[in-house]
Amino acid sequence: MNVYLREMKAYRKSTIIWAASLSAMIVIFMSLYTAFSTDVAAVKSVLGQFPEILRTALNISLTSFFTLNGFYGYLLSFAILAAAIQAMNIGTGVISKEAAGKTADFLLSKPITRSRVVSAKLAAALSVVLITDVVFWVVAYISALSVAKEPFDAGTFFLMSFTLFLVQLIFMALGALFAVSLPKIKSVVSVSLPTVFTFYIIGMIGDVLANDQVRYISPFKFYDPAYIIAHGSLDGTYLAVEAVFVVAAIALSYVIYVKKDVRASA
Amino acid sequence: MNAIETTKLTKYYGKSRGIVDVDMTVMEGEIFGFIGPNGAGKSTTIRTLLGLIYPTSGSATIFGKDVIKRGPEIRQEVGYLPSEVFYYDDMRAIDLLRYSASFYNRSTKAIEKRIRYLADLLDLDLKKKIDDLSYGNKKKVGIIQGLAHEPKLIILDEPTGGLDPLIQQQFFNLLKEENDKGATILFSSHILGEVQKLCDRVAIIKEGTIIEVEQIKTLLENSTKRFKLETVSAPDAAAFDIGGVSDLAVAGHAVSFLYRGHINDVTQMLAKLDLADLLVEEPDLEEIFMHYYQKGDGR
Repeated sequence: MNVYLREMKAYRKSTIIWAASLSAMIVIFMSLYTAFSTDVAAVKSVLGQFPEILRTALNISLTSFFTLNGFYGYLLSFAILAAAIQAMNIGTGVISKEAAGKTADFLLSKPITRSRVVSAKLAAALSVVLITDVVFWVVAYISALSVAKEPFDAGTFFLMSFTLFLVQLIFMALGALFAVSLPKIKSVVSVSLPTVFTFYIIGMIGDVLANDQVRYISPFKFYDPAYIIAHGSLDGTYLAVEAVFVVAAIALSYVIYVKKDVRASA
Repeated sequence: MNAIETTKLTKYYGKSRGIVDVDMTVMEGEIFGFIGPNGAGKSTTIRTLLGLIYPTSGSATIFGKDVIKRGPEIRQEVGYLPSEVFYYDDMRAIDLLRYSASFYNRSTKAIEKRIRYLADLLDLDLKKKIDDLSYGNKKKVGIIQGLAHEPKLIILDEPTGGLDPLIQQQFFNLLKEENDKGATILFSSHILGEVQKLCDRVAIIKEGTIIEVEQIKTLLENSTKRFKLETVSAPDAAAFDIGGVSDLAVAGHAVSFLYRGHINDVTQMLAKLDLADLLVEEPDLEEIFMHYYQKGDGR
């Protein structure tokens, strides 16, 4: 519990910043809905003039874009991109910082097993992500209520919102795996940003090429808002893919961390 | 029961040698010196004992318990101070020490009292942030986190770097106090003088292998000193031909030699010379290995 509390305290400031930034982002985005929904025909004709390939790459669907959930689903993809960076930062940083800050000797010479250290750190990372998400979900819902002109399906709204957490979970697990596998990570951002953007771009390329196989590679394409709106549920195949990946990545992280030598910090 | 026992403890980092077949026994209640030049394998041995690295082969026990299988249980009774200290810069010294204390199954009140006692003794401001502390003060934080839970075994890996002589003396006194209360101490150093001051027995490690384990008394009796002197008139090399002198070099008025034996014999010899300057110093470890422990294969 002490390691968990220590990490929660250490990440307090960054959690506040991330939660506030993501919330501000969704408030600003949702406020645009009023403008978009006032003159649907005009906006539709402007968007209709965009090349289809660009609309596909930007994930703009002319059929759902003007409903509140459709609009939110579109905006959510940007929030998910930012949230994925946060998750990867914390997944990587919470473990690698002991090596980077040369504090591993201090921590691991204490009477605690390494698996308990990993558990406490991942529990803290998960808590930070969940706290950020809960704040985001509440703010997003209040924003939606304030701009909605017609009633919208709150169940679908929250299901879409939940995918933020699901994508974060993947990047958090990937971050943990990187943290235990890479020799010494001096800058977490130099690992997280390229990784997250690579997967994001892979997803965009998959959309443009209309290649469904690519969806399995990019977590950003696991949970398509259009699918959620149409079916009122998440795609079980991708849920299964995610579950397998997350469990494998976390299990491997434990094994590597427990077995590895902690080299002298000097 | 022995406090520490290693059997053929070996560690390779890939192909490079860490330690090879280290057999070492530290008895409960003794202050055991562990001495050798940098890179000899002192830290590798200590890190293996603490479970920070895994041995390639061989085994080690602390208080009869295997260091790998029962690491956390063992570390309840161990205090460790590494040569270089690194802590969480965002914490205040007191928060770091409380965090450290939270790992041990000791009474919070007792451990807090002890933290305050040690901080007073070492003159450390506990309210300061780690980031704002000088290296010497960070080292004091290290000493306190290593001793606050009153461990039965104190493992010190070249602990005195960064401590001024006064604090160093207080630290040694503190260690003697802990030893008097029953604590066993493993004291690693590359400075012979430190080990001589403090330890009962000493193991000498070189190139990953223990080459000698001796009582410190024996070591002192066989102590080798390097003499450097200048004479007013050019001396005759024959004047230095007494038992125990080796490595003699006479260059004009400057003379240098190693001496092993009774100090009175050499001072009587020096008294016959017309000295302009005299310097007596401890030879470095390499010299000891070369001239003092030269055995068979030259180790």
